[in-house]
Amino acid sequence: MTMPAHFTSMRSRITKIGFAIALLAALPAGAQAASMKEGIKAYKPFIVERIGMAIAGAKDMQTAVKAGDVKAAQAAWIKSRRGWEAMEPVTGTYFDEFDKSVDPWPNAKSGYHAIEVVLFQANKTEGLDQPIAEMLANMDRFEKRLKAPKFTFAPQKLLEGTANLAYEVGEEKSGGGESPYAATSIIDMQENIGGVEFAYKTVFADTLKKKDAKLAAIIDERIENLKKLVGVADIKSMDAKKVHVAGEELAALMLTAAPKLGLKSFKVGDEDEGADTDKEKAK
Amino acid sequence: MQKRHQVIIAAGLVGIAVLVAPATASPVVSKDATLPVGSDLHEELLDQPTELFSFEMAGGKRSYLFNLGDMLFSSPAIFGGKARDAGMSCNSCHQQGASNPKLFVPGLSKRPGTFDTTGALFNAKADNGVFDPVTVPSLRGAKYLAPYGHDGRFGSLRDFARNVIVNEFAGPEPSGQTLDALITYINEISFLPNEKLTTDGRLTAKAPDAARRGEALFNKPFPRDASMSCATCHQANAAFVDRKVHDIGTGGFFKTKTLLNAKFNAPYFHDGRFDTFDEVVGYFDKHYDLGLTEAERADLVAYLDTVGDADKPFTPNTVQAEIDELAAFVSVLDVAIPAHETDVVLLTVESVGGEWREVGENFPDRKDTSVEGGVAERLRARAGVRDLVLTLRRVAMAAQAGDFTEAAQIYGEYKQVAVAVAPYLKAAEQWSLYNPVVHDQHFAALRRLADLGK
Repeated sequence: MTMPAHFTSMRSRITKIGFAIALLAALPAGAQAASMKEGIKAYKPFIVERIGMAIAGAKDMQTAVKAGDVKAAQAAWIKSRRGWEAMEPVTGTYFDEFDKSVDPWPNAKSGYHAIEVVLFQANKTEGLDQPIAEMLANMDRFEKRLKAPKFTFAPQKLLEGTANLAYEVGEEKSGGGESPYAATSIIDMQENIGGVEFAYKTVFADTLKKKDAKLAAIIDERIENLKKLVGVADIKSMDAKKVHVAGEELAALMLTAAPKLGLKSFKVGDEDEGADTDKEKAK
Repeated sequence: MQKRHQVIIAAGLVGIAVLVAPATASPVVSKDATLPVGSDLHEELLDQPTELFSFEMAGGKRSYLFNLGDMLFSSPAIFGGKARDAGMSCNSCHQQGASNPKLFVPGLSKRPGTFDTTGALFNAKADNGVFDPVTVPSLRGAKYLAPYGHDGRFGSLRDFARNVIVNEFAGPEPSGQTLDALITYINEISFLPNEKLTTDGRLTAKAPDAARRGEALFNKPFPRDASMSCATCHQANAAFVDRKVHDIGTGGFFKTKTLLNAKFNAPYFHDGRFDTFDEVVGYFDKHYDLGLTEAERADLVAYLDTVGDADKPFTPNTVQAEIDELAAFVSVLDVAIPAHETDVVLLTVESVGGEWREVGENFPDRKDTSVEGGVAERLRARAGVRDLVLTLRRVAMAAQAGDFTEAAQIYGEYKQVAVAVAPYLKAAEQWSLYNPVVHDQHFAALRRLADLGK
């Protein structure tokens, strides 16, 4: 059976690079910081790099769409999305209005999925100039806020965002996952787990090892397990039940680690609701 | 990330434009999905088939076995292969114990409401090489409706249920307790009350005149065989069945179907060839050479419509109903943890956790631009559901480690979290998919998105 071009391209990408290797290569030297404070400093460049990747992919897509090159636009869409998906520990909690404008669902006017349907389902490039331009503008604003010298992440919110992403990785994917029209949801999941791994190892791992080496080892093992489980060509090849259990276990363990990391225990009703970004928006 | 509620994009596949409210198995748009593109399990969220249990009418209570069976009936974990991966359960086809007239799986369904139980998709071992879909039967009053299977091949409901799990959906061999529980649950599913019918199958004063005329025709001997009438097989004082199989010219021997609540069991006949009672009556008129006038046909249809009715066929779903149902499901742990029944604990965590996730997805996250307002409330509800799911997961981890003291302690935490989360869920209900307006906006947005692909 002949694979669609974008699908072949995706497989090739996985085979040649491997998301885990790509992420590890992206780790700045000394990223596994001795303290959470240092880790937080080391985490920001990762997000800068990933939004840069999302923007670069979107620009490539813009060029391909102007040229009417569907295959190139599809490949660029995947590239951009890879950048975006690894940032999900923080997109919802720190950049909620951009998350809503860049990655809304369901929305037929703007964002990744409005573009995805046209590119991958209709196999067209017509009508995409405006949504891509809007998405790029929002990504640029995202990047500008991120790069502001005073902008910083906080361990409490980052741990919850990371655990939340692990929980969401364990969601049922029988409908085709997060990118159903492109059928590239496995890449989303790989990038998600890469994002979880980077956040955890960069910010929390060393501190937790000192406080509770056993729990830290279990979390390490669960992350490796999840990486293996999603290291497949597509979500049809994935053991969905194992991913579901592994995602939930990792999320539960991470939330359990909060007090050991000197953070506040998570209590029902205390969850972050983007209040900080609301304040920023009001400025 | 968020789970996707999806609409079918290839409406032509099923011949109808579909607006659905599913939380788990939405019509499939992705070639990456477990089920074929165009599949629609059509699990209703808002107006669900009314479910009534015999013990409720007798003033009784839910037993442990009933709760376990109810939970297992909604659990993909007892199936295997694609059915499990697709999140399918007994309830996917027999919603709230009723039928599922719009279920459609390309390759397995000839028309909505039918399904080939011996196709290759769910269990290659059971593939008989014949495309022979049958209707999804309602399980209301199942305890009175032996033998089981359209051709009556199973004498007991227990054998029938085992066959569904193991052969139709490639599940592992169920334990004795699993089968006992499922049968306990199914046996409690009652016919729905119908004020137009007495308990022995006679029409009441509330039945229309046309139905009365139809009742007389129903009991009238056939012109060419005076030993037969409609009532010969559909015996009014026996749930309108005779517990036998007959050849009525449809390609084999098939069991007599009940007429109780049958208004909601379309399509009709074993293979779902007819959508309406009018078509059914037309078939019998022709096959048995009844010589019915148009008015007589209409009267018979009125009779079937009256006998097959229910006072309250559908019940609006609410957040409170979801909370109550999951409280009943999870109560299985009250027994399973002290009994150190690891398998039951894990099954319960999988099932209840999965159900909670479905509930959580009915509170749109902030990326859902089709919903306005209540963002804080929706996010708090979603986070609360996450806490419930993860607390349950910790119960499973403790049980798997053999630490049932720890499991019991965490289960105690779960109960506290459930109490704390309930008000958040109810506070967010008006912005959730349980609100028909929000529901329609959300699914309209999904359709608009899908339309872009055309």
